[in-house]
Amino acid sequence: MIQFENVTKTYNKSVRAVDDISFNVKGGEIVGFIGPNGSGKTTTMKMLTGIIKPDSGKITINGFNIRTDPIKAKESIGYIADSPDMFLRLRGNEFLELIGDIYHVPSADRQERVRSLAEKFGLTEALPAPMMSYSHGMRQKMMVIAALLHKPPVWILDEPMIGLDPKSAFELKQLMREHTKEGNAVFFSTHVLEVAEKLCDRVIIIKNGKMLYSGTLEELEKQNKNESLENIFLELTEK
Amino acid sequence: MKIYLRLVSALIKGVEPSSKEKKYNRIFYYVMSMIAVFGIMLPMAFFVGVILYSMTNALSSFGTQENAIELFLHLIAVFSFIFGMNVIFSVFYFSGDIENLLPLPLKPYQIIGSKFTAALISESVMEFIVIIAAFAGYIIGAGLPFYSWLIAVFGMLTMPVIPLIYCGIICMLVMYFTRFVKNKDTVNKITGICTFLIVIGIVVFVSRSGFDSDALIKAASESDNGLLGVMNCIFPQIPFLVGSMSGAGIPALLAYIGINAAAVVLFMLTAQAVYFKSVVGIGQGGASSRRSFESVIAKMKQRSAWVTYLKKEFRLLLRTPAYFTNCVMINFMCPVFIWLVFLIQERTHFMDSFVYGIHSGNEETVLQFMLGISAVSVLVTAVNCIASSGLTREGKHFAFVKYIPLSYIAQINVKALVSIIISGSGMLLCVAAACIWLNTGIKFIVFSCLLSLLSVSYASYFGIYMDSVNPKLVWDDELNALRGNYNIFFNMALAILLEGVICAGSYLLFRFTEIGAIRIIVLLFTVLMALNAVSYILCNYKATKNIDKLSI
Repeated sequence: MIQFENVTKTYNKSVRAVDDISFNVKGGEIVGFIGPNGSGKTTTMKMLTGIIKPDSGKITINGFNIRTDPIKAKESIGYIADSPDMFLRLRGNEFLELIGDIYHVPSADRQERVRSLAEKFGLTEALPAPMMSYSHGMRQKMMVIAALLHKPPVWILDEPMIGLDPKSAFELKQLMREHTKEGNAVFFSTHVLEVAEKLCDRVIIIKNGKMLYSGTLEELEKQNKNESLENIFLELTEK
Repeated sequence: MKIYLRLVSALIKGVEPSSKEKKYNRIFYYVMSMIAVFGIMLPMAFFVGVILYSMTNALSSFGTQENAIELFLHLIAVFSFIFGMNVIFSVFYFSGDIENLLPLPLKPYQIIGSKFTAALISESVMEFIVIIAAFAGYIIGAGLPFYSWLIAVFGMLTMPVIPLIYCGIICMLVMYFTRFVKNKDTVNKITGICTFLIVIGIVVFVSRSGFDSDALIKAASESDNGLLGVMNCIFPQIPFLVGSMSGAGIPALLAYIGINAAAVVLFMLTAQAVYFKSVVGIGQGGASSRRSFESVIAKMKQRSAWVTYLKKEFRLLLRTPAYFTNCVMINFMCPVFIWLVFLIQERTHFMDSFVYGIHSGNEETVLQFMLGISAVSVLVTAVNCIASSGLTREGKHFAFVKYIPLSYIAQINVKALVSIIISGSGMLLCVAAACIWLNTGIKFIVFSCLLSLLSVSYASYFGIYMDSVNPKLVWDDELNALRGNYNIFFNMALAILLEGVICAGSYLLFRFTEIGAIRIIVLLFTVLMALNAVSYILCNYKATKNIDKLSI
C-alpha cells in the first residue's frame, strides 16, 4: 500500500536528509519507523504525505503516485503531524467538520465516527470547546480523531503516542491492530522502542538519511544473538 | 543592563525573517526593496519635508514658525498612540515568548523594558523616516544652525517613546483590572474596537469643531494657540524638543530628556507593580462552551469542502485579535473617512466644484471619481493584507495546505474570496455611500461598485501570489505574522506603483488625446479585467508551483 522507491531529498544542496531509501508497506502490516533525532524520519513522513517534494524517486500510496495523482493519494492517507497545535481558535467540532468536508465524509458516517472516536478518547465534553483551551494531550487526541475520521486505508503517523495518556495510547494501539486486520496499512514513527517491539510487524531503522535495517524484530534479534532491542538500536545507530 | 540588552536582541531576532528566508530569492527581495524605498519611502519623506518647509516659511512672517513642526509632531504622536495600542497589547500579553520568559528569574520591569524596546525599534522605522524628513523641512525652512540636526536625530529616535509608554501603561492597567475575565481575546478585541471608536470620536470632534483650512492656518499663525496648548499638555515633551532646536538650547533639551526619563520611570514602576499580576494565568480564548456534545454531533452535516474552508478562514480572521484589528476592522475605517469628507464638505463646501461636476456629468470629474475608486480599492486591499498574508497566516501548520486532498488553486481561490468579500464589503459601503451622497443614478452606482470589485479582486489574487513567493511561516504569535512581514510591504509598494501607473496613464490619456472619458473608463474596465486574468493565471501557474516547492 506504500511504495517508497529510491527516494532522495537534499536540503540547501548539501544536507542529504534522505539518501536513496526504498521500502514498502503491505496491507495488513504495522511498520515502525525508528531512528535518532535528525535521522530523516519526519522528512520521509512529509514526502509520503506530499508535504515535501523529493529530489528523486517514486512514492506510491494505495496505487496512486503522490506527485502525479496527489489528490487521490492524499485521500487515501490519514496523517498525524508531529505537532498538534493546529487551528487552535476553532472549536473541536468545527475542526472535525472541516476535515470531514475536505475528505467528503457523509453526514451519517461522520456523526457515528465522531461519536465513537470521541468516546474512545474521552473527548466528548471538550468537543464543543475551542481547541485553545485543550491540553497538549487533548490536542493530540483531536489530531488522531481527525486523521481517522475518513477511514483512510493508509495511516501515516508521526510520533502519535506523544502526549497521549495510557488509556488513549492503548486505544490507539488497538485501533492500529484492528485497522491492519482489515487489510489496511499503518506506518508510524516512534522513539519508544517498547511500543515498536509490542506493536510492529516490521521495523525500519534509519540514521543520517540512510536505511540501516528493514525487517521483523525477531530476525533482528536473531542476527544480534538475542540482545535486547535497545542494545541493538544503540549499536546500530551509534556506529 | 546586560540582561536587558540580551533580551532586546533576542526579541528583535524573533521578529526578523530567519536566515533561511533571507537567503531565499535575494534578487526578488533586492528589486522589491528598491521599489519600496524609491517608489514609496523617499517620495513620501520628500513630500513631508516639502510641506513642513512651506509651512515653516509661511509662518515665519507671523513669528510662529515652530508651530508647524509642533503640530506635525503632535499628529505623529497621536498616530503612534493609536496604532501602537494593538502592537503593545500583543507584545506584552499575547506573544508566544511570554511562556518562556515568565519562568526565568527576571523582574517584571526587565521583561517589559526589553519587550517595549524591541517593539519600539521594530515598529518605528517608517515613523523615523517621516520624523527626520519633517525635521529637515523645518530646519531648512527656519534656517537653523548645524547643532539642530544633531538634536533632530536624537528627537527622531526618542519621539515615539512617550506615545508608546501611554499605550503600555493603559494596556497593563486594562489587563490588571480585567484579570478575572477568562477570555482575554475578548478584552483584546474590545480594546481594539475602543481605539477604533476613539479615532472616530477624534475625527468627528475635529470636523465639528470648525475644521477649515483658513481657521487652521489662522490657528497655526497665532502664538497663543488653543489646540497646541491642549496637545502640549498631552505630549509635554514636544515643545521642549522643538525649543531646543530653535534656540532655547541646553535647558530645553534637558527638560525634554527629563520628561522622557520621568515617563520611563513611571512606566517601569507600573510594570513592576502590575505586570506579573495581570499576565500570570493568561489564557487566550479559553472560554468553555455551553453547547452539548449531542447537539454538536446532531448538527454535523456534509457540506462542500470549499464552503467549509471558507468558513475556517473567516473564523480564524474574526477570532484572532491581531487579524481582527489589523485585517478586518481596518476596512471599516474607509467609510469613516468618507463620512469625515461629508462632514467637512457640509461646513466648508471645499468639494462644491467636484459635486457640481458629477451632477452635471462633467467627463473629467467622472473620470477622476472612477480612478479614485479603483486606486482606493487596491490600496485598501493591499493595506488590510488579508490576501498578502493568506499563506503566511498558516504559519507552522502550512503543511496542512499541502497534505489535505484539496488542490492548491482551490485553496488560493478561497483565500482570495475571503479578501474580496471583506475588502469588497468595506469598499462597496464607501462607494455606495459616496454615490448616494452625490445623488448619482443607479447605473453610476452599479458601474462604480463593479469597478471597485474588479480592483479588489485583482489586488487579492496578486497579494496571494506575492505571499507565495516566500511566505513568513515562522512566527510565534499572530501579530508577528503581520509585523516585519516584507511580503505585505512589498505587495503594498507594487500595488501603489501599479495603480499609480494605471491612474496617471488614464488621466494623461484624457488630457492629451481626443479620447473621451467614457472610452477611457471602458478601457479602464478592460485593463482591470485583464489584470484579473493575469493575476489569476499567476496564481494558477506560479503560486501553486511556489507552494509545491516550499519545504516546511
